[in-house]
Amino acid sequence: MSFRRFLIKRTIIAALLTLIAVSVIFATLRLLPADPFSGLVASGSLTTEELERIRALYGLDQPIYVQYVKYVQNLFSFNFGISLTQQRPVGDIIVPALINTMVLLLPALVVTAIVSSLAGMYAGWNRGSWFEQSSIVVTTVFRATPIFVTGILFLIIFSYGLGWLPAFGMRSPLANPDGYLDTYLSVDFLRHYILPFTATVLFYSGDFLMLARNSVVERKGSEFLMLHRAKGLSDMEQLGRAGRNSLLPLVTYFALRTGMLFQGVITLEVVFAWPGIGRALVQAILNQDYPTVQAAVFIMALAVIIMNLTADIAYARLDPTIEAGDV
Amino acid sequence: MSGYSLDADTAVDRLRSEVGRAWRVFRFILRDNGAKAGVAIIATFGFLGVFGPMIAPYHPIEDTLQQSGSIMRLQSPGGKAAFGTTSFGKDVLSQFLAGARPTLIVGLFGGIGTGVVGFLVGLTSGYFGGRIDEFLMRLTDLTFALPFLPMALVILSFVTPSVWLITAVLVTFLWKMPARVIRSEVMTVKERTFVKSARARGAGHLRTMFLHVAPNVLGIGFLYTAYAVGWSIVAGASLAFLGFGDPTTTSWGRMLQQVFDSGAIRVAWWWVLPPSIGIGAVTTGVFLVGRAFEEIVNPDLQTDKE
Repeated sequence: MSFRRFLIKRTIIAALLTLIAVSVIFATLRLLPADPFSGLVASGSLTTEELERIRALYGLDQPIYVQYVKYVQNLFSFNFGISLTQQRPVGDIIVPALINTMVLLLPALVVTAIVSSLAGMYAGWNRGSWFEQSSIVVTTVFRATPIFVTGILFLIIFSYGLGWLPAFGMRSPLANPDGYLDTYLSVDFLRHYILPFTATVLFYSGDFLMLARNSVVERKGSEFLMLHRAKGLSDMEQLGRAGRNSLLPLVTYFALRTGMLFQGVITLEVVFAWPGIGRALVQAILNQDYPTVQAAVFIMALAVIIMNLTADIAYARLDPTIEAGDV
Repeated sequence: MSGYSLDADTAVDRLRSEVGRAWRVFRFILRDNGAKAGVAIIATFGFLGVFGPMIAPYHPIEDTLQQSGSIMRLQSPGGKAAFGTTSFGKDVLSQFLAGARPTLIVGLFGGIGTGVVGFLVGLTSGYFGGRIDEFLMRLTDLTFALPFLPMALVILSFVTPSVWLITAVLVTFLWKMPARVIRSEVMTVKERTFVKSARARGAGHLRTMFLHVAPNVLGIGFLYTAYAVGWSIVAGASLAFLGFGDPTTTSWGRMLQQVFDSGAIRVAWWWVLPPSIGIGAVTTGVFLVGRAFEEIVNPDLQTDKE
């Protein structure tokens, strides 16, 4: 199969997957027993006629297939509708939350990808060394422990115990920044940033370290390295060659992880009261705010599908031993 | 065809030799120091899961500790409550001991369920290939695309969560991980001569799959079952922490939710530490054993053993 056909096939599959994912989300949300307005009737704040009018306003009185078609049309044109509980466009809720999540997670992912991959390669090269053993144990501890537990421990040590860093949110209650630059580039923001950032870096580090270490270990016995050794390259130069050849799994893993970033890290955002997408989603679920839930889950699914596609294509393109088509 | 379909005697015989192999592998794993610590932690945890509720000095929910007529709220450790009390006057030690069991159940059954479903899907997908493979792999893509925790929260927001329901939700979202790895292993194993010769001798698909292919990928299957136990414990604790756990039981995740939501986290370190350390230690133990096991199972890592 030519690369072109492979590309087309993969893209079509990704598009179909998105449609199916969207339908599953729609079906799951329609299984919910009630909408947020029925509660208001029960408590007497709304009459039945008013309820009918509101439901018509949101299109909830139409047959289910009409709702479905409209829902799909709107999602794919990125028109997410109005939040049921906050009376403002869903986009206005989700976009800032998504930016907050990205500001936290993307730098953490990049930092840990670089640092732990290098550490992992070094560990794999010096197999059986003290550095290898301890780096694996330390990163395994942080990889295995749920991130919210690490976060809670950080909180009780650094915020409540020692009182060094603030525990709550993204800025002090009194700070009232104007514009993105002011929001994200201030000492106040940095002080709120350190703990969740560190927890995320530690959490992600284990996977990159093990991947890098394993692929260097796999390369270590290979013939091209023997050639390099025979050529008289120093140890570090050999590691450089082996490391370059171990990049592929790391790059694809990085792509997949980037896709997952859009999901935020719900529990971490809750622990540090970080106003990100995960926290917004939990609140929307608790308030039965369908449009927000639909839109947030749709964006998360779309990000993963697109990044999976990217990883597949990168793999087919970069690895000459894989024929496009059997991936 | 009687000799070439899957009969009970052969199955038992094969199973026995697998058990023997597993025992040797286990002894080999124990040479790794991390794995030793991991096994010790898991054994302690298993003990707590079974006997914890019995050795707890008080009932974790019903007993409210009192001292000279008033409820003991947020007592620091000492006296009647060795680990202190919660803001509702409950004994932290008893909650910790009783909380091991739901954590163990979710982890164990979620992990085993994930391992079994993933193993069977991966085996079928890799063995048959073609359309079946295409369909099953697109299904794994779908479960990758749907974000796990948000979907689980949506589902659990309209049904009352119970331990079993949570386990089922976990398996629904986690089976894809072992399935993918097993599939790619099966694809290399099925091309080997002994599988082809079994087919040529007239062995049915079922027999070939389970007697000739499956034993060769069983190691990876167990590895991912072990990891799945770890993931299930993490996921179960996360759900409980977010308030979507089984409301009738005391789990470690739920203890953390209560201390966090009540705001007592600011002062009551004695209420925070036991469940945190419990969860962290168990998942770490599982992953340490998994790592040591992976060194044996993954042939690519055997390149140069010093």
